[in-house]
Amino acid sequence: MLTTILKNGLTRRKLLGATAAAVGSAATASLLPKAAFAAGKVIKIGFLAPLTGPVSAWGKPGLDGCQIWAEWVNAAGGIKLADGNHMVEFIGYDNEYDPAKARTGATKLVREDEVKFIMMLGGDTWPGAQPVADTTGMLFSTLLPSDLSPDTTTLLAPAEVHPIYNVTGVEWLAENKPDLKTAVMCAQDDALGLPSVATYLAAFEAAGIEMQDAPLLFDPATTDFAPVVTKMLSTNPQIVCLDTAYSDYVHPICEQLFQQGYKGQIISCTADFYEQILEKTSVEFMEGFIFQFPDFDDPALNADFINFQEPNRFYEEYSKRHPGEWGAVSWEYASIMDLWRAAAEKAGSAEPDAVLAAMKEGGKGKHIFGDAEWWGKDLFGIDNALVGNWPVVVIESGKARIKGFKSIPEWYAKHGDLMKKHMAAYGQMWNQRT
Amino acid sequence: MVELLAQTGLNAIYAASYMSLVAVGLVLIFGVMGVINFAHGELFMLGAYTVVALYADFQLPFLFAVAVGLVFVGVVGLGMERALFRPLRDNPLGGLVASIGFLMILQALAVMGFGVRMEHVPPVTQEVIVFSEKVRLAVPRLFVIVAAVVLLTALWAFLKKTRFGWALRASAQDPEAAALQGISINQTSRIAMFIGAGLAGIAGALTAPLVSVNPYMGHSVIVSAFIVIIVGGIGSLEGAVVAAVAYAFVHTIVTTFWDGVIADIVGLSLMLVVLIVKPTGLFGTADRA
Amino acid sequence: MRNRALHIIGWPALAAALIALPYGLSFSQQEVLVFLTINVLLVASYRLLTLTGEWSLGHVVIMGVGAYASALYTKELGIYVPISMILGACTAALVAMLLSFPLFRMKGFYFLIGSFAAGEIIRLLWKRFRDPFGGPKGIKKIDPMPDFDIGIYSFDFFEPISYYYLALVVVGICLWIMWRIERSPVGLTFHAVHWQDKLAEAAGVNVRAYRTLAFVIASGFAGLSGALLAHYIGTVNPNSFDIEMMVFVLTWAIVGGTATFYGPIIGAIVLTILNEVVLREMGFEQMRPLIYGLLLICSVLFLPKGLESVVQKVLARRNGSGAAAAGEEQA
Repeated sequence: MLTTILKNGLTRRKLLGATAAAVGSAATASLLPKAAFAAGKVIKIGFLAPLTGPVSAWGKPGLDGCQIWAEWVNAAGGIKLADGNHMVEFIGYDNEYDPAKARTGATKLVREDEVKFIMMLGGDTWPGAQPVADTTGMLFSTLLPSDLSPDTTTLLAPAEVHPIYNVTGVEWLAENKPDLKTAVMCAQDDALGLPSVATYLAAFEAAGIEMQDAPLLFDPATTDFAPVVTKMLSTNPQIVCLDTAYSDYVHPICEQLFQQGYKGQIISCTADFYEQILEKTSVEFMEGFIFQFPDFDDPALNADFINFQEPNRFYEEYSKRHPGEWGAVSWEYASIMDLWRAAAEKAGSAEPDAVLAAMKEGGKGKHIFGDAEWWGKDLFGIDNALVGNWPVVVIESGKARIKGFKSIPEWYAKHGDLMKKHMAAYGQMWNQRT
Repeated sequence: MVELLAQTGLNAIYAASYMSLVAVGLVLIFGVMGVINFAHGELFMLGAYTVVALYADFQLPFLFAVAVGLVFVGVVGLGMERALFRPLRDNPLGGLVASIGFLMILQALAVMGFGVRMEHVPPVTQEVIVFSEKVRLAVPRLFVIVAAVVLLTALWAFLKKTRFGWALRASAQDPEAAALQGISINQTSRIAMFIGAGLAGIAGALTAPLVSVNPYMGHSVIVSAFIVIIVGGIGSLEGAVVAAVAYAFVHTIVTTFWDGVIADIVGLSLMLVVLIVKPTGLFGTADRA
Repeated sequence: MRNRALHIIGWPALAAALIALPYGLSFSQQEVLVFLTINVLLVASYRLLTLTGEWSLGHVVIMGVGAYASALYTKELGIYVPISMILGACTAALVAMLLSFPLFRMKGFYFLIGSFAAGEIIRLLWKRFRDPFGGPKGIKKIDPMPDFDIGIYSFDFFEPISYYYLALVVVGICLWIMWRIERSPVGLTFHAVHWQDKLAEAAGVNVRAYRTLAFVIASGFAGLSGALLAHYIGTVNPNSFDIEMMVFVLTWAIVGGTATFYGPIIGAIVLTILNEVVLREMGFEQMRPLIYGLLLICSVLFLPKGLESVVQKVLARRNGSGAAAAGEEQA
């Protein structure tokens, strides 16, 4: 525990900051060898996400992943720009998932730390930072494309294209298990859950799968899922869809499905720590569980079209440093950095406008799961989401395996109108968002 | 339909059980000490983390971990009484702030010791009692129900039949008169705090394999517990149990037949209605401000 | 007269210090300063409510009512921002008036929890009714305060300094009004309702009416602080006004002390600076809540009368006995 405190409690910022008076600098320097390169040519990248509080599971593991990314990149000589090599340093700011603190943090990162790029979780916090982006032209990224709108050209959704990739899972399900025709769904009533509900409804309709009941919404504070599961099972569905639920919901829901005797198909956006679900249920119960986030030790990720440095080694290193913390956010922020780095090196500069231009050149980009296009005018009002293929992952004999990569734009070309219809019904189109 | 109702009934009984454990502890602490323990949800969380540490990490027997959870959280309660609530006895708002401060400390300690991610607690048993194809009760849930019935009955007997219980009830009713009768307020506060915290601890410990254990899990518990003790009447243990059962049934049934968000609105509205009709709650009499 | 001298020198000096203050701060500290100024109004209005002896857990939600209302008036009806802020404050007062009918059937702890329930219901309504409240994501892109130029200074309300000056003027006026209310016969009755409610009742004071009045006035100012916040950050959502934020307001008030006008304000200033500036600068990321919690406990244990008691002692020592009132006025 002491090591955790030291690691989390003393950041580099403390050393660099002028107010580091509390601790003798000599003593801390020996604790933090990483601080050594602070004097050289350094590019600072802002990390503006919840690092404490209930939403911190969506921020903190991402910063941990970025630290590994930075160490690797720095060890390999740093970012190669026109004026030589630069080291990368991440500067975190804990916004506590509060828009006011996001604004303060964005101001600090842009105007005091002079970062070149800011990664955010987005959601509630993005509107707080938006005026800073509009005024300073700083390049921002979000994990939630629903933050995109035509009036902020410098906000990108380059990794997660939640929730539209969920259509790939449903499409795969319909192709491979065509006899499953009825479904039910539950979702938490929040900014992540609702657009995902609309997506799944569109995908099910496109696949000819019938919803037996309106999606069941529950409050994000729910802990006991027995009533939710009882209700879903009361219509004898062939498919249970868990929408985009956090692992705090996915695990107890699966456990309840198991205990209440469900034996059918489950489809979900996420299944972080699915080994634990396996332990709480059974290998047979989880067989065929479909979701969208591969393990990074999956051999399929070593394919040439994957744009992520050594995914297997990254996963290993991460799990070594932060046992039991691996999840989707662990790699997503790092994969955004890969994209950013490629663009910065192409542009020869780390300036936000140059990087943005290089990134979007030709309307194509290197998404982690293969080459993709800048897309989204229809749904988000601006082509700032990097959308291409997305993996469909299925649990087989207790291990998650990528069963294929499916194209989101291809699905959309066929069924775009359905998506728009359901998104509009849930008030999720960009021009409906107040 | 019958099956659906039966299953819903079982779901509600389970919810009522753990909610009663938490709410009764909260009521006991408020009744005897006159302080609102905002950290009660975090004591629940602490009980769950005891099971994470002993049962999941050190692989000691589950029931041993639960027993340790009861005692350990009870002792933490004693510590709170001595360090926070006793010096602040004449200052209930101070006690409230102190419990808020303590809540933040417990959360931060949980984050630093275990990380922000949810913890994994392996199932104690996967056995399920099958009444019919669609009416089932998992054995770990039965544990919670049995524990609630046994502990609350024991508490009831303790309060009604023993001298300590008599003293406790006396000082809950009228602390000054009780002090005049030679009842030590320190003593009754200690007992109330130990029992109240211990009940929250054991509720957390028993439900640890069933819910998502994370440092912020206390949050959702405390809100329902507040609703329950308000509806029941703040000083009343019987009221807390009755209200917990009523609330659990209403919430479960509304969730099953409409949805979870509406269930929350219905729960809160019911509470307001009770307060408007009978501002001291269903069983409350004493006016403790 | 010594008091008079203090007034003549003290007030302009304070005003000058507050005007000069942002120039000594970094950009992010200026941002914190804006929020702090708004929160000073919030916590001062909270004290007004507590004058009658009732502690509410719904005050932050009422602030949110002002924020939502003002945001919606500008967005949906196109009302000029400064006017919609005032309308937002009125809406908050109106909602408080409606809530007072059920709530003031209760007292003490019941009122505390009842106000919490009422607040939660309002928050659930914001979440549930996506039209017009925007659901869990709330309302985005709220019109900012329109920029203007007064000759010697041109206001650009993206800049924290500009908004700070605006907030400073608004909050200053509000504080002055609240101060006058407290010193008026109405305010003295509030005190009487708190400390001698049976006696006040016997003397013909309608206790419940005065409680309601305090609640409504306090809610109006809370609503105004919410409107100030909404038009600065440009977004409101239900989570910004949850019980955690309320807990912060409660701790500011109690740690500062509520016996004096300036107590809660000191509490808000000291705790905000500690939490947002000192602890952040020292880099205690995950430990921040822990240290903040410890500070709360220490302050109620060792300063049971609040930070204001320290100020009173210092002033009493410097001015001799009987000058505490002067110190009160100076703040």
